[in-house]
Order: sequence, then C-alpha cells, then structure tokens
Amino acid sequence: MDTCQTGQAELGLLIKQGAEARVYLSSFVGRKCIVKERFSKKYRHPILDSKLTVKRLNAEARCMTKARKLGVVTPVLYGVDPVLHTLTFEFIEGHAVKDILLEFGSNGIVEERLNDIAAQIGIAIAKLHDGGLVHGDLTTSNMIVKEGTNQLVLIDFGLSFTSTLPEDKAVDLYVLERALLSMHSSCGDVMEKILAAYRKSSKQWSATMNKLAQVRQRGRKRTMVG
Amino acid sequence: MKSFHVSAGSTFSVALFSDVTNSRELLELMQSAKMEPEVALLNASLVPDIFPVLAAAHKALVSKSRESLTTRTLHSELVYNYAASKHISESLKRCGISDQMSYILAVRFNASDDEMTSVTNLINGKEIDLEELEPRSNRDQILKHFKIPPQELAISSLSDAITCRIAARDAL
Repeated sequence: MDTCQTGQAELGLLIKQGAEARVYLSSFVGRKCIVKERFSKKYRHPILDSKLTVKRLNAEARCMTKARKLGVVTPVLYGVDPVLHTLTFEFIEGHAVKDILLEFGSNGIVEERLNDIAAQIGIAIAKLHDGGLVHGDLTTSNMIVKEGTNQLVLIDFGLSFTSTLPEDKAVDLYVLERALLSMHSSCGDVMEKILAAYRKSSKQWSATMNKLAQVRQRGRKRTMVG
Repeated sequence: MKSFHVSAGSTFSVALFSDVTNSRELLELMQSAKMEPEVALLNASLVPDIFPVLAAAHKALVSKSRESLTTRTLHSELVYNYAASKHISESLKRCGISDQMSYILAVRFNASDDEMTSVTNLINGKEIDLEELEPRSNRDQILKHFKIPPQELAISSLSDAITCRIAARDAL
C-alpha cells in the first residue's frame, strides 16, 4: 500500500475502476499485489458513509476467509485498512474466465479445457453454497484461471452474504446463467456442465435446483407478494 | 540473519536460533522492559515461513504510524498481530517465548548491524538459516492454533492460511 508506481499517488498503479471500488496494482513486502479501494460516495452523509464503507470492507474480508475455510480458492488476503478503505490481496496471474470463453467463441472451443473450467466452477459454487455462503456476483469476470496450475480462483466477494435459503442460492446461480447466456452463448451450454458438477458436489442441490426452476420462470427479485 | 523492506523506509531484520538455553532470562528481560536492544521474540515452531511474519510486521508499522498500537510497543504489537487473535495476553503468551523454549525467531525493526550482533550475543543459542523454518515448524500446533480446517489445507499453503488470518483479524 505504499510502493509508488507510475500513475496514482500512494496506492499503486490504477488498473480498473468499477461502480464500488478502484483496483490498483502494487507490491506488498516484495510480492505483487492488488489493492482494492472502496471509494466513498459523496452523496452520502460523511459519517454514515465511512461506517458503511468499513462495514462492507469487513464483510468482504470475512466472506473471503470463510470461503477459504470451506475449501474455495480465493486470492490470499494480505491486509485490510479501515482508514484508507482498502483491501490488499495477492495478485493472481492468469486470465479471467470471461476472456477465455470469449476467445473460445472467436477462435474455436477447446472442449477439454471448457469442461475442466465448467466443472471447477460447479464444484466451487457447491462448496460455497453448502457452507452457507452466497457469492452475490457470479459472473465470468469474477473468476480467474491461474496460470500454470489452471486452478479456478473466485474473486470479488464484495456483494456476498451468508444465507442457507435455497432462494438465495438459486438466484446466485441464475445470475451466472444470465451472464453466460448474454456473453458466451457461442460456447454451447456451459451452464449445464456447471450445474452437473454442482449437483455432484453439493449435498443440498435438490432444493436449490427446484428453486432455480422457479426463478427461471419468473425472473429474480420478484417475491410475488402484494 | 536476513533483512527485508517492509514498507517505504522501514527495514526488518530476522534471525533464527535453535538450542536456546536462556529463554527464562530473555523472558524476564522482556517483561521488565529492560531488553536492550528491543527485539520481538517469537515461538519459531509456529512459523512455517517468513511471509506471515512480514505481514504482521507491516500491520504493526501501519498501526504505529497512526498512533493506534494495541499493545505497548511496536515489537509486542508484531507478536500480537502474528497470533491472529483479539486476545492480547493469550496471543503474547502463545506466540511469544516461554520459559523452556529452545527454538526462537528474533526480529527487530530498523536494526543496524551492531544491534543485530548484540541480539545474537544476547541469545544463548545457535543461529541457523531461515530455510530451517519450514522443516522445523510444528505443523499440528499451527493447525490447532490457527484453526485451519483440512478443506482449507487442500487449497492453500500454511503460510497463506496464516497470512489471511493475520490480515482479517480486525474485520472478524
């Protein structure tokens, strides 16, 4: 959080900006790392804003460590700074699943690799859900395939929460399904492969699958009340 | 002895000792705050790799720069951070040294060569290479102290698991 590189002042080299946070490249005691800064929303009251941001930061750190304890591969957390509103993680060398699938779409599918990735996704989500954790933002840009080991790494637990409700798990899967349909339909039915792996690894898949069918019918965030 | 750059302008020197015979004396010196030069002494069997110690050191430095140390000194803060627990005295007891301890990791911030030499003289033991950290670490003790489940071990090294806990302690 202190090595100065070209670009932004203290935090490092800015590599991405999202709706909630900025991502910088930096180094932590000699190791390449990512610094994620949750920026303050100026329209909020300053005291509330600070409290909310720190709360979200801590929730993200907690969910990541919980995911690790459940056996889901996530980047190693190097530090949490409540004053600067930053999280420092290990830098994962590799490509986002989104980029890999887009490449498959344009240059042809490598069947074996696709199957392997889909299976790993299914297994990872199953472990999360069985452990009562919902990722909240399952898209292919939040999954990285590690260079060399080809291990799938889940990132961005900023929207995750604990829940054992089949509804929440089904919505989690539904978000992924929609994302795949909109971006990667040229890769074939990846979702089916993911769900197959999910069913095999999860102990509570049937309730979730039933709910998923319901959610597909009506769309999400519709509790059909009132 | 090895030196690391923990943050802009701060160095961190580390030395590993085995067959230490005067741990009781060292403990007394520390508790009466008469240790010269000030050094942090860690139970080396709980250290599989130097990286988590560096993470704890970084955290301690940041706290110090903000005048928000939880313990009395920078060095005791490091031991407290390494334990990844919010219980201060328990952490210092478990991760610091005890009476009969013979395997110790000594660390000091911004140490000059002279200071490190006096640390080496202060400790009655044999200085060994940091490469010995891994084979000499007590795996079972580490798994127990940091509560690392087998699922996590399957996807992570001990060093990474400990580092995560050190980083997230205050968020939990």
